[in-house]
Amino acid sequence: MRVATNSYTSEMLDQYNSLLAQQDTLQSQASTGLAVQAPSDNPSAMETSLDDISQQAQQTQYSANISALQSRGDTIYSTLESLQTVVSTASGIATSVGNAITNGNSLGNYADQVNSLINQTISAANTKDPATGQYLFGGTAAGAAPYTTTTDANGDVTGVTYNGNSSVNQSAIGASQTLSVDIPGANTGGSGPRGLITDSQSGADLLNHLISLRNDLESGDTSTITGTDAANLQKDENNITYQVANNGVAQAQLTTAASAATSNAQNLGTMVTNASSANLVNTMVELNSAQTAYQAALESGSKIMQLSILNYLQ
Amino acid sequence: MLGLFSTLGMAARSLQAEMTGVEVAGQNLSNVNTPGYSRQTVQITSSPEVDTPIGPEGTGADATSIQQAVDTILNGQIQSQNSTSGYWNAQQSSLQNAQNALGEFLSGSSTSSTTSASSASSTGTTGTGLSSQLNSFFTAFSALASSNSYANQQAAVTSAQSLATTFNNLSTSFGQVNTALNQSLTQNVSSANQLLTNIASLNQEISTAEFSSGNPNDLLDKREQDLENLSQLTNISTSAGTGGTVNVTIGGQTLVSGDTVSDTLQTYDPGNGNLLVQTATGGVNLTLTGGSMQGTIDARDGTLATLQSNVNSLASTLITQVNNVQNSGYNSTGGTGNTFFTGTNATTMGVNSTLTGNPSLIQISASPTAGDDTSLALQISQLATTAQSGLNNQTFNDSYDASVASLGDGLSDANNQVTDQTAVSNMLSTQRSSISGVSVDEEMTNLMTYQQAYQASAQLVSTLNTMLTDTIGMVSATGA
Repeated sequence: MRVATNSYTSEMLDQYNSLLAQQDTLQSQASTGLAVQAPSDNPSAMETSLDDISQQAQQTQYSANISALQSRGDTIYSTLESLQTVVSTASGIATSVGNAITNGNSLGNYADQVNSLINQTISAANTKDPATGQYLFGGTAAGAAPYTTTTDANGDVTGVTYNGNSSVNQSAIGASQTLSVDIPGANTGGSGPRGLITDSQSGADLLNHLISLRNDLESGDTSTITGTDAANLQKDENNITYQVANNGVAQAQLTTAASAATSNAQNLGTMVTNASSANLVNTMVELNSAQTAYQAALESGSKIMQLSILNYLQ
Repeated sequence: MLGLFSTLGMAARSLQAEMTGVEVAGQNLSNVNTPGYSRQTVQITSSPEVDTPIGPEGTGADATSIQQAVDTILNGQIQSQNSTSGYWNAQQSSLQNAQNALGEFLSGSSTSSTTSASSASSTGTTGTGLSSQLNSFFTAFSALASSNSYANQQAAVTSAQSLATTFNNLSTSFGQVNTALNQSLTQNVSSANQLLTNIASLNQEISTAEFSSGNPNDLLDKREQDLENLSQLTNISTSAGTGGTVNVTIGGQTLVSGDTVSDTLQTYDPGNGNLLVQTATGGVNLTLTGGSMQGTIDARDGTLATLQSNVNSLASTLITQVNNVQNSGYNSTGGTGNTFFTGTNATTMGVNSTLTGNPSLIQISASPTAGDDTSLALQISQLATTAQSGLNNQTFNDSYDASVASLGDGLSDANNQVTDQTAVSNMLSTQRSSISGVSVDEEMTNLMTYQQAYQASAQLVSTLNTMLTDTIGMVSATGA
């Protein structure tokens, strides 16, 4: 084929540009590790990657929610433990009144102990989440402390008012999976989550039962103490035990969900990487190849450009 | 017999012919780098024979014409190819702008790959695209559902503001791309009109030149260049007119007829702001079939318009769904009445300024008496994984990701087409260059050939001169 003089130059320029573009693409892949950076690089891989990144963000948020719930659950568990001690102590008092010969002084001492237990219970029921500063046992009602008290002239609690409600917030811990570790202070509706202090399903009403016990201790009504009060405290103890078990179940669910969220996030990250990453071995080989071709093109081009018949004409 | 004087005349014509050859070689060498130039060759033919007693005898040679080395079929293919290349180049450029406007890119550093899968997992979006903003919005509401703190309320409102701003910016960017494409189309129409005028003018010059002096090679080259430039702008069809002229038809309308521009092009607004092309005088709306004009129109009214529409649907569906949930709720003090998102589409979307001023007024409680209830925040966060009927039963992210992929498909297709069409163009260009291009080696060889022939003819003149001198000398000697 006949070859015109400027065919060389235009073809060489096209080849140089093509090889430079190839090197530019490969260099970008080598430096970023990504074969897919823009939608046009690989539309399908881009769509998959964006979808996976979105899911990864959700999984990461699930992990954050789970972590917050675990911390909240730990605080609730500590409160439950302290309430278990309160109920156990109160039950012990009620039982010991029946088992021992008691006099007015010793009943009075017991009453003082129960007063202390009442205050401990109120304090526990008004516990705040250290992470958020929110009350833990007020349900979803905002504002005031869950429990406010009425006291007599001696400062003894004579009545309590629950300011919260019986609802709890749910948190997302997985795809279509929500969980709450919260416990409302009271639930007298007969359905929904059981109340911590007062619960109609279990018959628990810890604060009022403690107040009754104290009043009966002060009045020396031992038969009521050993009968009604002891039986009521047993209901309270059962309720707390139920809440502890429930907390344990929730914590176990959180542990499982945390593991799943972490694992899912990692898997999704790997999937994103698989879809978008450059194969560095191939990239480097191709880059070397493109560089060699570029050098060869420059070398051969410069030699062809140097030669013409003019070199040989005298 | 020719005789000495006739032979001298033959030598003179030969000198003239070879001189023309040298001139044409010089013309070719001068235009070795001139775009669109077709090499020329001098046609030297034997002069008519004369009858002599010993039979017909040659009378030398004459330079009869200067011809262009042109393949008109190949030129037609190049025009057609230019139209295809122009179309895809315009598509590529337009969609590249749209992709940049979308700002959806992956970033990260994965450096330890030894197989197709890298061990690093830090790949993510650049964070400026809509995808990451959607993620941030839904995760912020998920966090708010988990804990109704002021910080989380603020984070939810801030993420919504960022999302709305991203929608607004996208809408603005798409609008700018649209405007730029309209301007490009207007510019193309202006260039096409100029080329039509040039072609008509060249037609006239060519017609005149052909009538008076033969082949107007350089004018033909210029007209071919203009036709090829015009074919990059739009698909043209040409037909031979009288006197070497070329008629040009675009979209079924003859716009150049001989030396007359019978009509020109202009843009018009069909009512939606997206300009189209029609004839200026006749007002005939044209259906173009190629070239950068149609490439621009197709990119603007096709992939880009679909993308704009999808983003608007995404915004309006999001506004409706979030507002449906949030507006039905109560804030922490039982208050209500504050809509969450304002606006109706990507352009007008915003967040209620009352909420941006006081995020605690966000209405995520299902009950007026349960101020810490976050059930509506949970519902909003769960919209992320809910198929939306307004989005072809896809989730927000899936719908958007599909739109991104669709744009990527369009641009990837355009990139591949440009690569393919460039290869075809290069091949045709090389093919034409092999016919019409100037070779310095060839022209220098021709130059030497003509030079030596010229020297030989000059030698003939010299010899004849000697012979004439001798002959005249003989006459003088005899006379003396």
